[in-house]
Amino acid sequence: MDKLKPAPAIPDQQPEPPAGPAALPFTDTKPVGAADFYFAINATFRFIEKEFGPEGLRRYWQDLGSRYYAQVTASWKRGGLPGVADYWRAFFAAEPGAEVRVEASPGQVSLDVRVCPAFKHLRGQRRDIVPSFCQHCCFVSEAMAAPAGFTVRVQGGNGACRQTFLPLASAPPPQDLAQIKEAA
Amino acid sequence: MIGVYDFCGHYDWTFEWLRAQGGEALLRRYWDEAIHRDSQRHASRLIAERGFAGMAEYWGHTLAHEGAGYHTTAAEGVFRIDMHQCPSKGFLIRNKLGAYHDYCDHCMGWIGPMLRQAGFAVDHEHNHRGQCWWEIRRSNDAAAPAEPGTLPGEQDVRQRPDWKPPGAGLDVYRHSNHPDDKAPGAT
Repeated sequence: MDKLKPAPAIPDQQPEPPAGPAALPFTDTKPVGAADFYFAINATFRFIEKEFGPEGLRRYWQDLGSRYYAQVTASWKRGGLPGVADYWRAFFAAEPGAEVRVEASPGQVSLDVRVCPAFKHLRGQRRDIVPSFCQHCCFVSEAMAAPAGFTVRVQGGNGACRQTFLPLASAPPPQDLAQIKEAA
Repeated sequence: MIGVYDFCGHYDWTFEWLRAQGGEALLRRYWDEAIHRDSQRHASRLIAERGFAGMAEYWGHTLAHEGAGYHTTAAEGVFRIDMHQCPSKGFLIRNKLGAYHDYCDHCMGWIGPMLRQAGFAVDHEHNHRGQCWWEIRRSNDAAAPAEPGTLPGEQDVRQRPDWKPPGAGLDVYRHSNHPDDKAPGAT
């Protein structure tokens, strides 16, 4: 952690309202992303963990969640749990190969990730997946959710998992990282 | 989850995060180690094994999947790309993103070292508006880049009326393999 510096204050991160999927902060001209970019996400985690250790990688995820995704946090603050559900439905519709059911019920939103698109592609292309890969969902989402008044719990991983978004006020037990599987 | 739909947005953000942590040197090492040698190792292998044919195969697949507006030209001793609508920079422009000060440098950051390893060097220019061109020749081939309009014909990106709009700075590379090899006079 000593090597890490504060996350940069980044200007020009306020795009106009999106013209594409309404629940996503940024829009593209194609309906789904290019799966090969999962290679770069995986490689980026590996590089940062090598340079800064596991704590540095967590710090990267937290900074990404709180800063790059700040507009998502704002939309969750405005839209509440229905906004959380709308975001994840739009998000997974734009991820190639994802099989995810988003369930909104009073007091929580659950993501039943039956096929994680990243694992599907990385495994299909025989890439070594960073062991802690699945933890990024917990750390990024928590950093996005907390300022909006929510928290996330992740269970499972290694290609399929369940993620539950809850109001912070419901004070669920803390996330047990042992509940998140390593990539194998 | 971090997804691929907006990959270019968090890729650009990550450049600035790394620069803030360890300066430009760390970022250049990231482009070489993480992108060239890890993420894009399939490209590295293909081009090392098959040379120009590997370039045509790799960029044909990748740019089509990314939704690029581009044209490639293969001629004796040279492979050329004319990028008319860069999907990556275009995403940033449309969404008004720009965390890192020169996003376009990342291409030379990983492609340059990859081509050096395979025995090639690059003539390249980009205008920071989503247009660029590349001419790739063997490292021992000192030929100058083609004059505008001669190699790809009307597909030459340099013939676009918006190639050099007022105030736009061109980054220029000649027979290069490194993102910091910008030719004198480049802006």
